[in-house]
Amino acid sequence: MTTLESGSATRPAVLRNRTRNVVRLQFVNTQTFLWVPALVLGGAWVLTMLIYWILQNAGVTGVKTGGGSQAPLWYFLVVGIQAMTMTFPFSQAMSLTRREFYVGSLAAAAVSGLGMSLVFVLLGLVERATEGYGMNGYFAYLDWLWEGGPLAAGLTYFVLTMLFFIVGFWSATIYKRYGTAVLTTVLIGIGLALVGVVALVTWQQAWPAVGQWVLDTGSLGLTLWAIAVCVLLAAGSYLTLRRMPA
Amino acid sequence: MDSVIEVRNLTKRYKDVLALDDVGFDIRKDTIYGFLGRNGAGKTTAMSILTAQNLPSSGQVRVFGEDPYENARVLSRMCFVRESQKYPDDATSRHALASARLFFPRWDQELADDLVEEFQLPLKRTIKKLSRGQLSAVGVIIGLASRAEITFFDEPYLGLDAVARQIFYDRLLTDYAEHPRTVVLSSHLIDEVSNLIERVLVIDGGRIIMDESTEDARALATNVVGDAATVERALHGREVIHRESLGRVASVTFLGRLDAAERDALASAGIDLAPVSLQQLIVRLTQQRTPGRDAFAAAAQEGSLR
Repeated sequence: MTTLESGSATRPAVLRNRTRNVVRLQFVNTQTFLWVPALVLGGAWVLTMLIYWILQNAGVTGVKTGGGSQAPLWYFLVVGIQAMTMTFPFSQAMSLTRREFYVGSLAAAAVSGLGMSLVFVLLGLVERATEGYGMNGYFAYLDWLWEGGPLAAGLTYFVLTMLFFIVGFWSATIYKRYGTAVLTTVLIGIGLALVGVVALVTWQQAWPAVGQWVLDTGSLGLTLWAIAVCVLLAAGSYLTLRRMPA
Repeated sequence: MDSVIEVRNLTKRYKDVLALDDVGFDIRKDTIYGFLGRNGAGKTTAMSILTAQNLPSSGQVRVFGEDPYENARVLSRMCFVRESQKYPDDATSRHALASARLFFPRWDQELADDLVEEFQLPLKRTIKKLSRGQLSAVGVIIGLASRAEITFFDEPYLGLDAVARQIFYDRLLTDYAEHPRTVVLSSHLIDEVSNLIERVLVIDGGRIIMDESTEDARALATNVVGDAATVERALHGREVIHRESLGRVASVTFLGRLDAAERDALASAGIDLAPVSLQQLIVRLTQQRTPGRDAFAAAAQEGSLR
């Protein structure tokens, strides 16, 4: 039977590795996952260095820190949005389940995020060893981030990239499934909830307690909380995608 | 008969449109289907639901005996590239085909390479810069080379010239002969695909109005050609679905068959029997069922659905 013959041509490995192959599918967008994040990180670093150099030459010899290293984190919002909008319809044509696509996309973001975190930690180690490139200027080696050591700093950076990715991915899913009005409403809703929390803390005059909690928890502790938030958001994002038409 | 797809009471409701209205049909194993109907009749919606790219409002779909939704086992045996398929932004044709190779277990690279050459598809160009015809070629190549047990083609010829369309039809038939599988081909070019398809599934206004073998479908109507007056007399009382005349010669298509005696009578009166165009038949049948669209009907009567 010819049917059986063509059946025997099936490559079983293809069936086993579907989720893993989604990572390769996502990395077709090398620009999204590799070059632009690298460019954002490199660009932020160069700009920061130039400013430190100007300051150093102007006689500012004290410790100089900046927020430039968070720029790539924000870009992961975009990565999340593009991973969803650009690749989801094609993943459906590749006969993938939404679950395979979702888990594979998270894994792709993790690969990209791990790379970023590695560069971040290496930069930090260099800065620690050279006392801020010899000009007391720090891009990655930020005291409160590194109080738990390089591993903890890397973990924090990684978790933040994933957090931004998931938020971007979920927003894009809501937008694609329900449209602009619903996405805007959800964002306003989240804004209102946050204002509500601020109001509550203010009325209770609990700001000193909150500040103390943040200090006590430390960056590693906050990172663990962020992991919990990531898991919640990731679950919500999956539930939104689960019944999404292509 | 061996069914690979079973659809029962399938309904899909969008906000204010009933795209599929309590539809039921079976798709047989290793058969080429023509899935025909007008724009908006529900073809793409139905194919999307069968491949779990979309979800039904109610009703049941079974593919290889299972629910296809989030079912990797079933989905990996199907291939559906949409007519309006979106590809990753940076992707080139090469990326798209390499991805398909990753996910379709029966992918045949040799066949894909062959088709790339025949369709003259530029591999290094990003897909968003391809012409409409080249874009269609990407979908056609994925559909053919994936060799999925059930392959859906959703108007795969858009932008393809006549030569490229013929390549598609020829390659589909050749490969189908060597590797039998189920093919569901949605098309407006009914006459062009009528020699290709073994069964016709016609959908109109969200309902299946015909599910026949192509042969039986053709036999639903008869076409006669001859002297206009003689033809008119001979066909008195028949339900005529199409009439063309040139001078005193008329070609008339009517619903129903002729028995042997009637055939002989016509033959002796100098009237010829001609094969019925599947397109004419389906155009007329769908027109009859959509009386509210006279403006369209008048245009379609010219025999062109393109």
